[in-house]
Amino acid sequence: MEAGEPVHATTSPALDLDDIQAGALYGRPSPYVGTYLLLCIRDRDDGRDLVRRLLRVVKPAGFPGSPDDTSVTVAFTYSGLKALGVPQGSLDSFAPEFQQGMASRAATLGDVGESAPEHWEWPLGTSDVHVAISVLSSDRAQLEAVAEKAREAHAELAGIDLIWRQDCYQLASGRTSFGFKDGIGQPGVEGSGRPAANPRERPLKAGEIILGYPDETGELPPMPSPEILGRNGTYVVFRKLHTRVAAYRSYLRARSRSRQEEALLGAKMVGRWQSGAPLSIAPDQDDTELGGDPRRNNDFGFADDPRGFKCPVGAHARRANPRDALDGEGSVDVRLHRMIRRGTNYGPMLPEGVIEDDGIDRGIIFVFAGAHPKRQFEFVKTQWLNDGIFIGAPLESDPLVGPHPESSTFTIPQRPIRRRLQDLPPFVVTRGGEYCFAPSLRALQWLAGLGVRDETPPREDA
Amino acid sequence: MARSDVGEPQPGLRVGPTSEFSLFFRVKPGSEQSLRTALTDLQNTPGYRPGDYGMAIQTIHEARFVMFDDDTRLAFVTSFDGPWDAYMEDFFTSGPTLALFDVIFRHVEGYGGLPDLSALRAFVLDAEHVAAAYARNYPGTVKEIRKALRVSRAFQEVLDHPQAAELLQHPAMRPLWDEAGD
Repeated sequence: MEAGEPVHATTSPALDLDDIQAGALYGRPSPYVGTYLLLCIRDRDDGRDLVRRLLRVVKPAGFPGSPDDTSVTVAFTYSGLKALGVPQGSLDSFAPEFQQGMASRAATLGDVGESAPEHWEWPLGTSDVHVAISVLSSDRAQLEAVAEKAREAHAELAGIDLIWRQDCYQLASGRTSFGFKDGIGQPGVEGSGRPAANPRERPLKAGEIILGYPDETGELPPMPSPEILGRNGTYVVFRKLHTRVAAYRSYLRARSRSRQEEALLGAKMVGRWQSGAPLSIAPDQDDTELGGDPRRNNDFGFADDPRGFKCPVGAHARRANPRDALDGEGSVDVRLHRMIRRGTNYGPMLPEGVIEDDGIDRGIIFVFAGAHPKRQFEFVKTQWLNDGIFIGAPLESDPLVGPHPESSTFTIPQRPIRRRLQDLPPFVVTRGGEYCFAPSLRALQWLAGLGVRDETPPREDA
Repeated sequence: MARSDVGEPQPGLRVGPTSEFSLFFRVKPGSEQSLRTALTDLQNTPGYRPGDYGMAIQTIHEARFVMFDDDTRLAFVTSFDGPWDAYMEDFFTSGPTLALFDVIFRHVEGYGGLPDLSALRAFVLDAEHVAAAYARNYPGTVKEIRKALRVSRAFQEVLDHPQAAELLQHPAMRPLWDEAGD
C-alpha cells in the first residue's frame, strides 16, 4: 500500500463465477432473514448423497440474482471432509487452523473464561459438526422455500442428522442488538462484479478471498489438493456471539449525564454513530442521512486523525479495518487483513430503554469468508481486536467485542483532557463456532462422487 | 506457488509486547567489501543516521547488522512490537523496507532478489534463529516510549516556567510534584 503499487502489477485472471458459491464472495442482502443448519454425517454414503442433493440448491456467484437475493452456502469442517472419505493426504493439505478446528484455537483467539469451549453451546466445537449450511434471503417466504429444499436434502437420509439450527433475522430497527447499523464496509474483490463499499479502497486481488487466483502478495494462496477440491473454494469461519446488550447499555448509562453523552460514548466505542455515520466524517453528532448513504458512509480514512480526536484509535471499526491509519508504519499492509464479513442478528431486540437483562439470548452470527484464515480472520481477531500493541496501548482491547479478561480500559482522545473508560466488562461472549471450507460447485461434485468414480481414495474411519 | 513447503516461522522470544528477531546469513565470497559499503550506505540513509530515529519500520526498537567470522557471516538483530509470525507476510510486502534490505541481502548466499516473495520468505525463515535468552530493561512499545518522551519533554518545559512550583502545589499535581525535584 505505502509502496503505491503492488509488488506484482499483473491483472488477475477472470474469476470463475459459475463455479464459486455465491456465499463465498458476497455479503448478505439487506434486509435479510436467514437460517444456519449444522449436520452430522453418520453414514459416508448418505453423506455423499447429501452433497449430491445440496448441489441442486447451491447457486453459483454468476447465477443471475433473484430479486430476493436468496443464497445457499454449503461448507464442511475438517471432520466433515473426513467423514465424506476425503483422502488423508488431501486433508493434510488444508490450512493448519482449519485442520485444528476453532475450539483448538480458543486460547489464541481469546475464547477464554466464559467464552471458552467448555461453555460452548453443543455441538459447536465438537467433531460432530460436519456440514454447515447457511440460507440467506431478503424474503421470508423465499427463505422458507429454499430452506425446505435444503431440509429435504438431508431429511430423507437416515445417515444424516440435523444437530443444530439457528434462525436469524434483521431487527425492525435494521441494526444490531447493540443498536448500530452494520454490514457497511465490505471490500471489493477483483472480478466479482461488485464494487467496494469504500470508494478509496482498490478492490482486493481475487486470491485474497477465492483460492486459485493471485492474492495481494502476487502469489497463489496455499490451496488444498487435489486442485479440483481446492480451486474456487474459500475458507469460511462462523461464530455465534452472544451480546450483553443490557450490560452495555447500563455501562454507558452509568457514565453519562445525558442521552446525548450516552450516544457519543457508544459512538466513540464503535467508531460510528448508531445510524452508521462514521465519526471521521461526523465527529460531533449523528447524521442519519450520512449513515444511510452508501456513497458517503464509507468514503473516509483515518490518516487525517492520527491521534484519534474524531475516531479513537481504539474504536471497534477502526481496529477491525484501520484503512489508511497504519500506512506510514512500514510494518503492516492493511490489504492483507481484509475479509468478507457477514454478520446476521439472532434473537429479539432488547426493548428500547431497558437496561435490565431479560435473560433472552441474542447476538450475532458472524461469518468470515477468505482465502487466508490465519492472516485475515485470526490476525484481525488477535492483533487488532484482542490486543492494543499496534496502537501503542498493549493493555487495551476492543471496547465492544474485546475479551476484557481483566477489567479493561478504553481511551477516548478529546480536548482538553482525554477520557478514559474504566472496568469494561465483556459485552460479547463466544457461544461457539467452527472453521469450515466452502468448496466450488465442481468440488462439491467431486466430493459427491468420492468412492463412486474409482476405488483409489483409501477408506478412512470417520 | 503454495507455501506449504516452507516451515512455519518460529516466533522470537517475547518480553511484554516486544519480540526479538535475529537472522544469520553467509556472505557471498568476494562480496565482503561491497556488503560493508552497502551497510555504510544504509547507515547514511535519512532516518538511519545516528540521531535520526526514523527507520522505515516504525515498530522496531533498534536494529543492527553485524559482520563477523572475518566478514564471512552477517547477522541482523532487532526487537519488534508484536509477534513476528503474525506480521511476516506484511514484512515481505512492505515496499520501502524491502527496497532498503534488497541492496544488503544481495551480498549474502541464498538470496534470489525481489520480487519472488515465496523465495524471500524461505530465505528469511531459513536464516532465523530464536534467541536462547532475551531480556529487556524497559516495558512498552515504540509508540508508548515516543509518547512518554514527548510528555517528559513537555513536563520539563512546564518546570522551566517561573511559576511552576506554585502551579504544582495543587494536590492533584502530587504525582508530578514527586517527579519535579530532579
